Amino acid sequence: MLRYELKKVFSRTSNKIALSLLLALVCLTCFFALGVSWVDENGDSHSGPAAMARLRAAQKEWAGVLDEAAIRRVIGENQRIHSLPEAHRDTVRDSNITYGRGQGIQEIRSLLNCSFAGGFREYDYYRADALTTEDAPLFYPNRVRLLREWLEGEARDQFSEREKAFLAEQYESLETPLYYDYALGWTQLLEYAPTVVMIAMLVLGYLVAGIFSNEFTWKSDAVFYSSLYGRDRAVKAKLRAGFCLVTGAYMATFLLYSVIVLGFLGADGGNMAVQATFGGWKCFYHITLWQEFLLTALGGYLGCLFISFLCMLVSARTRSAVLAVMLPFVLIFIPSFLANISGSTVQKIIGLLPDQLLQTGTALNLFNLYSVGGRIVGAVPILFTVYTLLTVCLWPIIYRVYRNKQIG
Amino acid sequence: MELKITGLTKRFQDITAVNGVTHTLTPGVYGLLGVNGAGKTTLMRMLCTLLQPTEGSVTWDGKDIFSMGGEYRRVLGYLPQDFGYYPDFTVYDYLLYIASIKGLRSMTAKERARELLEQVGLTAAQNKKMKKLSGGMKRRAGIAQAMLADPAILILDEPTAGLDPNERIRFRNLISELADTRLVLLSTHIVSDIEYIANEVLLMKNGEICASGTPQELLDAMPERVWSLDLPREAVAGYMRTYKVSNVKTVPGGAQLRIVSEEKPGAEAIPEKATLEDLFLNYFGEREGESNVEI
Repeated sequence: MLRYELKKVFSRTSNKIALSLLLALVCLTCFFALGVSWVDENGDSHSGPAAMARLRAAQKEWAGVLDEAAIRRVIGENQRIHSLPEAHRDTVRDSNITYGRGQGIQEIRSLLNCSFAGGFREYDYYRADALTTEDAPLFYPNRVRLLREWLEGEARDQFSEREKAFLAEQYESLETPLYYDYALGWTQLLEYAPTVVMIAMLVLGYLVAGIFSNEFTWKSDAVFYSSLYGRDRAVKAKLRAGFCLVTGAYMATFLLYSVIVLGFLGADGGNMAVQATFGGWKCFYHITLWQEFLLTALGGYLGCLFISFLCMLVSARTRSAVLAVMLPFVLIFIPSFLANISGSTVQKIIGLLPDQLLQTGTALNLFNLYSVGGRIVGAVPILFTVYTLLTVCLWPIIYRVYRNKQIG
Repeated sequence: MELKITGLTKRFQDITAVNGVTHTLTPGVYGLLGVNGAGKTTLMRMLCTLLQPTEGSVTWDGKDIFSMGGEYRRVLGYLPQDFGYYPDFTVYDYLLYIASIKGLRSMTAKERARELLEQVGLTAAQNKKMKKLSGGMKRRAGIAQAMLADPAILILDEPTAGLDPNERIRFRNLISELADTRLVLLSTHIVSDIEYIANEVLLMKNGEICASGTPQELLDAMPERVWSLDLPREAVAGYMRTYKVSNVKTVPGGAQLRIVSEEKPGAEAIPEKATLEDLFLNYFGEREGESNVEI
């Protein structure tokens, strides 16, 4: 039965087109994710495998523990680059040459900009250029200091005292010095992952929307329900087909995307803490890039599964695929509109909407905190727990709704 | 093997589609005859457990069919009036899928599908997609799916709709073959479909069974008689308005009318032997312009 349910989905021309579109969009996203360039000593920009290899080699030279000595070396190198004549000329070419010389320390330089910024939420691209080697010891303490200043200032009313203490504790307990390595493969992969997950979700929503409603659309419902298993096993087969379809198509999509990006850019640096990257410097979760990747992949999967099951419920209930197809769009885009509403309660609710699972990487960098059983926890563990339970609960609900249909 | 219907009623808000139907069906062919909207499909859908009745019960060998669930559906084969299918499945795949939801094992399903494809004359078209089949071929595929599990109860709702005369004859013969040891309930508004094969005819009107019996019993019980009358052309319209006319045949100088009437419609009227068509007209036919009977 399961095989035939899947066949019903894959035999439809519109579904084949949807899958082809998914493949094409994933390839397009890969193209953007691989859009990395290398600037040579003449200030000329290059892309392609050779350029990626040179960038990797340049950044690999700085791989190692980011202790005080390493920070001093980076600041020193940055000073050296900016003391050269090209750094003082205003032409684009000279500017590119200066940039090209600093590509090896580019990521650490960004961390310096974050650490020595004027405020927690500020970022000055040129801040690192003003640093001296004597500033190196403040690299890690600044991270905690800026957070504390922010919590007592701008974000004073945004968090409870317990939440503030939790964030400070998370920041202070980060094991330093951090280890740094070339990790462009992972950072690029994680940056574009939400796009891939969202595209997959919209296509999956379209594919699963017809699993239940098509029996009515095709008028095959009377034969279906009057058959021996029409009100039990055949309904379960539809649910299993939905599950297998989402699992298979999502995993294949994410795997394809990951293999292409990591295959081209390299998988080095998976074990370094996310805080050692520009995008994860402020993250309060103590995880590595590899773990963030895993959470992003699993979160995306859980989000796709939950929303797909919700689509199937709507499709089973309304006997129409139209509303079901629209549901993922609503769930993905409505939070963007709600985000404009101020108020910590609204923001806390938005932080737990299913679209957050589709962009777990972003959710990991948000300061959405909740009190659960007297403990302060971030949104991500709650999202994983709540939506796993809800997805499990949807299974019997869809089953009951569909099996009890009357065919008039 | 007995399907007992007791006081079966189905109401849709303020419309009563089936009203207190009571009948007992045993193996044989039953023809459910009635005009469109008489309640045939609703009755059949309740017998297939697709619809819950508002009142009344249906039992199969003494057990309530709605409580039996799968046990009842195991012995049921159903061809709906509006037969739907999976457009991109081949005929063979379609039958294998239906076989799987009817609980047939893979090997048995393949064997049974081939047998039925042969029986309904679709072997050559087994690899064609369902959406590419002609109307008649689709109906035959529909009959094949209904027969897959060799059901004890076969319910066919308007099975000959859209079939050409050849296919209708072929279909009637097929039903006669299948009806040997099972209960076949066949609904139609086409009298000739059941005239030759039904052991018992149930006449349904306004949601009720208004008469039932063998074709001969029904004809014998018909209170009105059938007359043949030759008339000049200009008198035809008047007779059509006054009497139930089952046939008008043009003859030189006028027309020959076949009239169902208790009284002799004219001095020259000749008594004729009644047929099921006349019976149908007697129960369902109105005066000119009101009937939707297809004979």
